[in-house]
Amino acid sequence: MEVDRADGRNPNQLRPLACSCSILHRAHGSASWSQGFRFIQTSHFYHFNLFVFTSKCYFCYWVGSGDTKVLAAVYGPKAGTKKNENPEKASIEVIWKPRTGQIGKPEKEYEIILKRTLQSICILTINPNTTTSVIIQVVHDDGALLPCAINAACAALVDAGIPMKHLAVAICCCSAESGYCILDPTKLEEQKMKGFAYLVFPNSILSVLPEGSSLVQGEPMEHGIITSVTHGAMSVDDYFHCLERGRAASAKLSDFLRRSLQSKLPGDLSKAE
Amino acid sequence: MDTRLANTWRLTVNEKRFIETALSSGIRIDGRNPFEYRKLSIKFGREDGSSEVQLGQTHIMGFVTGQLVQPYRDRPNEGTLSIFTEFSPMADPSFETGRPSESAVELGRIVDRGLRESRAVDTESLCVLAGKLVWAIRIDLHILDNGGNLVDAANIAALASLLTFRRPECSLGGEDDLEVIVHPPEEREPLPLIIHHLPIAVTFGFFSSESLLVIDPTHHEEAVMVGKMTATLNANGDVCAIQKPGGEGVLQSVIMQCLRLASRMASDITKKIKDAVETYNTERALRKIKRHPTSITLDGSVNLKEKLNEPSGHNVVNELSRKHLEKPRLASAENASSPGNNGEGESKSSNFGRSSRRDGATSNFVGGAASWDPYSRGVDSDFLKASLASRGTLTPKKKQQDPTGERKPNESKPEESPGDVIPTTSAMDVSETGVHKGGEKTLKDAVKPKHKRKKKAFSSTADAS
Repeated sequence: MEVDRADGRNPNQLRPLACSCSILHRAHGSASWSQGFRFIQTSHFYHFNLFVFTSKCYFCYWVGSGDTKVLAAVYGPKAGTKKNENPEKASIEVIWKPRTGQIGKPEKEYEIILKRTLQSICILTINPNTTTSVIIQVVHDDGALLPCAINAACAALVDAGIPMKHLAVAICCCSAESGYCILDPTKLEEQKMKGFAYLVFPNSILSVLPEGSSLVQGEPMEHGIITSVTHGAMSVDDYFHCLERGRAASAKLSDFLRRSLQSKLPGDLSKAE
Repeated sequence: MDTRLANTWRLTVNEKRFIETALSSGIRIDGRNPFEYRKLSIKFGREDGSSEVQLGQTHIMGFVTGQLVQPYRDRPNEGTLSIFTEFSPMADPSFETGRPSESAVELGRIVDRGLRESRAVDTESLCVLAGKLVWAIRIDLHILDNGGNLVDAANIAALASLLTFRRPECSLGGEDDLEVIVHPPEEREPLPLIIHHLPIAVTFGFFSSESLLVIDPTHHEEAVMVGKMTATLNANGDVCAIQKPGGEGVLQSVIMQCLRLASRMASDITKKIKDAVETYNTERALRKIKRHPTSITLDGSVNLKEKLNEPSGHNVVNELSRKHLEKPRLASAENASSPGNNGEGESKSSNFGRSSRRDGATSNFVGGAASWDPYSRGVDSDFLKASLASRGTLTPKKKQQDPTGERKPNESKPEESPGDVIPTTSAMDVSETGVHKGGEKTLKDAVKPKHKRKKKAFSSTADAS
């Protein structure tokens, strides 16, 4: 079913993604992640159309579309854990800074969700009794804020060198009244739709092992879902529909994340002095 | 307690001694000379009133928002200006959330004193209804990266975002004119703040050897220095504020030398800020013009599209002429640029400025910028009354840019507006696009960047696919 989106995208189309790492000097790791059109320079600019199986790099005419941009910084591991944390494991502390205004309940909720998500992807047994702080600064919010923050936090953790099992890619899916589902909504679309869900999947694995050796209960690992936060009401079928679309999109997001992080690696480690 | 000590960054004794010895021979560890500023870059976000300033490794973002509130009892005719500084933990491992530390409070006070108490921002023009409703301007400064000298960078960020902030226009309406209608940006062009002068903060660091001083200390130098002083001056040479919080005693002659240096730095930095704001304003105006051709297919817009294919040889000429048109307006408070262009530019812009202001209508960047001119002499009460009293009957003769139904979502959300006003009809567009043909320079300039962007897009497609 064709649906008219305000900025001309089709339902399965994400906004252009951009990710840059190591932008701050004092922080151990930092990254900025933006979804949408931006005038400021960024490192990669890709545009994905899921119904065409190649990723086309065309410059879409974002006349008047906004963007969501989030800055993430990581400090760690620092010595000691907080009082109510388990000292036998590493702990993660998340601080969410909104663009303007006081810190309130929504920010606290984002902090908790982000913390639990990151705890499930980091290897917590490597550095016990330490705290890794992740600080999120919202630069601009135009829909899909939490997924953007999760993506930025993952990139920042990689930049800081925190050991992780795998990365997480996050996406937002909305479902409308008539049951169709659109990806990566803008703020207006989020408000208009019946309900939307933030979904976080593990990123896809690039492995030398033969296919099928890393299946979990018969399904590839990247079909698992790490986090799901829903707002509004949607039927069970709609939700599963969103899950499928989200999974398909997460494959493309993983590719983008891998590509942008790989280019940051030092060229040849054997040439160390 | 132990963990906090373990996590703070401390300079070793060797490093301290190295920095001091190098300074006594006039060498700084990053290669600058003692009276040189680091590289300053000012960028703006998409929304009005958001700026990102980088001074060397120090990185600060400023956001300005406005809200309608009740005024203070003792100042019923003035708006308010408040500054909130966030020392984000991402800037420095020693910054913590929660209660602001001493240095955070001090920074906030210095910036506040420079802006508010020196009356740089005109608060009387922020009054909508005396005694009942005024604009409360809120500046949020987020410190992202502490590379030293946060005060100066924060000041620049605050100024840059104030200069690019636009507040929605209000008019009085309803029965007995006591109801305030806030016009969303699609209906009426939002207005800039009136800023009389730009107070620039310049920070000096003093070291234990006699009369050793540096400008713009990095965070290594801040850990070594024994005293510091921040002088806030503007480009006219007025001293707005001086802050020397304790530390070693310094000779009077050194203080006078600092003030002289500071006034020189202030004029440099003022110029940089104004240039950056100017480019932002032209870009912003171009963005508004660009939206027209895509939305409606009319004769006017078709012509505009044809102009897209004009040879790019005109570009350089148009750039220069556009810059000359921009400069006279900005130079009204300072020295004028070339007299010929000045006269022509000013008469043109003042005409449009006055007429468009009277109608309260939106105006394109030639005429519009004159009425937006933040460097004009302060509040003109006639203008204020006229703009408050008039109800825009948008006359087709004036150059206007009413956005159509397709508006930028991020521009449509001033926090306080009711947000339920219907965007203006597209009937205006017919006449507007006709008028657009009249101002040739501006149109060519307007369509040219879009043309460039399209070209770039196609070339990137060619490369990538």
